[in-house]
Amino acid sequence: MNITDSFTRIRLIAGTTFLEAVRQKFFNSLLLISIALVASSTFFQQFDFGTGELKFITDFGFGALFFFGSILSITATTQLFFNEMENRTALTMLAKPVYKLEFLTGKFLGAHLLMLCFTLVITVVLSGILYWREMVLLERLGNELLSNGSLIRYGDVFLFGFLQWMKFGIIAAFVLFVASFSNTNLYTIVVSFFMLIICQLQYIARDTYSGMEAGWERILVLGLGLIFPNFQLFNIGDQLVFDVEKAPAVSTVFQITGYGAFYSIAFVLLAQVNFRRREI
Amino acid sequence: MATPAICIRNLTKDFAIGMRGLKLRAVEDLCLEVGDNEIFGLLGPNGSGKSTTIKIILGLLEASTGNCEIYGKPSKLVDARRRVGFLPESPYFYRYLTGRELVRYYARICMVARAEIDAAVDSVIKLVGMTEAADRRVGTYSKGMLQRIGLAQSLVHDPQLVILDEPTAGVDPLGSAAIAEIVRELKRRGKTILLSSHLLAQVEGLCDRVAILHRGKLVREGRVDDLVEEKDAESLVVQGLNAEARAAVEAEIKAQGGRLARVEKPKLSLDAYFLKEVHRREIEHVTQQEGEEEL
Repeated sequence: MNITDSFTRIRLIAGTTFLEAVRQKFFNSLLLISIALVASSTFFQQFDFGTGELKFITDFGFGALFFFGSILSITATTQLFFNEMENRTALTMLAKPVYKLEFLTGKFLGAHLLMLCFTLVITVVLSGILYWREMVLLERLGNELLSNGSLIRYGDVFLFGFLQWMKFGIIAAFVLFVASFSNTNLYTIVVSFFMLIICQLQYIARDTYSGMEAGWERILVLGLGLIFPNFQLFNIGDQLVFDVEKAPAVSTVFQITGYGAFYSIAFVLLAQVNFRRREI
Repeated sequence: MATPAICIRNLTKDFAIGMRGLKLRAVEDLCLEVGDNEIFGLLGPNGSGKSTTIKIILGLLEASTGNCEIYGKPSKLVDARRRVGFLPESPYFYRYLTGRELVRYYARICMVARAEIDAAVDSVIKLVGMTEAADRRVGTYSKGMLQRIGLAQSLVHDPQLVILDEPTAGVDPLGSAAIAEIVRELKRRGKTILLSSHLLAQVEGLCDRVAILHRGKLVREGRVDDLVEEKDAESLVVQGLNAEARAAVEAEIKAQGGRLARVEKPKLSLDAYFLKEVHRREIEHVTQQEGEEEL
């Protein structure tokens, strides 16, 4: 297996997957809805939150990013995979000297690239709105609010976007894993949403685990905690953007990134185990 | 002795059905050999195991037992597919690409050297007669054009073995004849072609050898002429005999110890008749147009 050739094939498959994805009406609709929702947060200024308004807009934007990003990640990855199966373009592709792992990795990276675009657009829109409202607030309340040049650390808005993107990567990878043994779109989407909820609430299992006595139940909960990634780790928006003192260390960000990459790779490899035996 | 293009030995494929794992046998103890530079037809009704066999040859399915080799390499190895081109039945391609972009894309997937890609793409597009439509989007192609561009993508990396799954399914007789001519041209270029088809009349005129599958088992295999000829009879095609002469011929046959089995008018196949008529009309049309232009 020539690694350079392998990377070229993965890049080509990822490229077509991405092109297929951005041509889908669903992606464009969801992107527009998300932008509209993030932009609509400015209408809440009539409540006169003062500087709290910026916090509100940020939370609103981060919430929209997670909510619509999760939906998009699940549905787009499912559709991209099953389009290839149902239209039998996968048959043409895999009849070439292409490894199934290359095909799956290409699909994953194409979907992940789509999520990068989505995350970038939402983050840029959110930052733009925050900047505009910040200027308005500074004009109204004066420069005494400024601590270090601005009220918001815009780099952290993008850092949060990056961490969410890593999370979308895990979602796309486990969607591929489910799709690798599933026969229908619907089954894949439903199971993936259940997994999303489990991963989102996984901290409950971790809390339970810490309060449990040694025994098989503790081992079971520990096992579940390891199988399902903990999505709460990625939700550090509160520590970012505003609070300089609580800001997470760079090493923490790297650890979370590594955690996301590990689960993404693990799910793609698990998908490969199923996909190897799947009839195309 | 030359290595056969495809060598299948005692191949059996079972599919597990349902939760209880009941087995459905799709192919049973199949032995088959396709020689180099041969056009080989895989025939059989629906569900006879043709597609399963093709998928095993392409390494898309693993055999339950037995083995399959392509030019001496186990077909399940990706490396064995480097010399194989494949056109699936009713191919579907990325609709937003043009024909040329599509063929180029698959050329890159097959790692055709960058310096050779343009020449390779142009060459196969010309071979399948798609030069004029190559820069149109695939989404606008007719069924016949899709088959042709599908054929082009299967040939772009210059494979030695070309596998065509129902290459003329849903294509009109003119398109089918054009595809058949491309297949003959591939043979002239030294390629091996394995094709599965339901259009037996076309296979008959095209294939060197055929195998007939039924319920996953090999029923017959051999040269087309050997399989279809009536071994104990010969036909004489004569013209210009009157009734007396014919009676004399019949009497002579009897005198020589033969038996006149049947007397019939030689017929063209409907395929050949259709192509002859369309070709004649086409020539008339062109001549008429040229005449009008001269006026």
